[in-house]
Amino acid sequence: MKKPPRGPTAVSALQAALAAEHAAVYGYGVVGAMSTGATETLARADWLAHQEARDTLEAMLVKLGATPVAANPAYQLPFPVTGDASAVRLAAALEDGVTQAYLGLVAVTDRTLRSFGALAMQPPANRALVWRGTTVAFPGMPTTSTNA
Amino acid sequence: MLAASPTTLPLFLALSGCKGPAVLSGPPPVAPQTQTLLHAVTAELNLIWIYNKTMAEYSALGPALAPLLAEHEAHLARLRARVIEPPGKKTPSTATARPAIAATSAGALTRLREAEQAAVSAQLGRLAGASPSLAQLYASIATSEATHVTTLTSRISQGRPGS
Repeated sequence: MKKPPRGPTAVSALQAALAAEHAAVYGYGVVGAMSTGATETLARADWLAHQEARDTLEAMLVKLGATPVAANPAYQLPFPVTGDASAVRLAAALEDGVTQAYLGLVAVTDRTLRSFGALAMQPPANRALVWRGTTVAFPGMPTTSTNA
Repeated sequence: MLAASPTTLPLFLALSGCKGPAVLSGPPPVAPQTQTLLHAVTAELNLIWIYNKTMAEYSALGPALAPLLAEHEAHLARLRARVIEPPGKKTPSTATARPAIAATSAGALTRLREAEQAAVSAQLGRLAGASPSLAQLYASIATSEATHVTTLTSRISQGRPGS
């Protein structure tokens, strides 16, 4: 009997990353709307970066013969965003989510996708650093918030 | 009639392809994935040594570098936890590279940044042959080190290495 494949497939991992990018694009809309000045400017730049990443993932999925997962009409925010401070916290949380999704790609066996996933973790981790002001020991890992 | 005599035993071994008792040979070769993991441990030890030495030479850098050092120590602990020591091979416990520290604090930060960047490349090079969970650990550590590069670059470009 044929063994089922271990770990995520390339398509499912790419779809998870795309779903995270969709959520980030939506979330940054909220971050931009609820922030002012330099925070708003930074949010706009990051919003554009996530749109670009989303388009890259969609193209990769189409190339694999898959239908890219669509964005939801709306997303539940992890906490109320009422101003600059909470907008900054949301931006960091969005970047953590995207970093974690790309780490999922590293678990696939395809070498090219594994490298792509590992490299794709760096921009969101660096953006999270800018928003949070501190580094974490294990970006993308479930224990990120505890820094160990 | 079936008992082997001193004269027939060597002939039997030669004909059967048997190499004789295996207990005389050394330990089996270390698996490539384990070898890679042991190299990753050594690489973290080397980075930690550079951080400690830099902080000893330039105490004003301590507050900025201590959080990054703590993360490398966390990397080391997590990597060590993944090691199953092969027979005849111990997990490395000391640095193997001890480069000279730069003559200025700005130069020392630049060297640290170079070391972090090299570490990122090395971690990414370990992905190919690793199990999925170990590959994820290498990738996460590489990403952490990439954020260290960003942090050090920011500090260097702000011209406040020791402030």
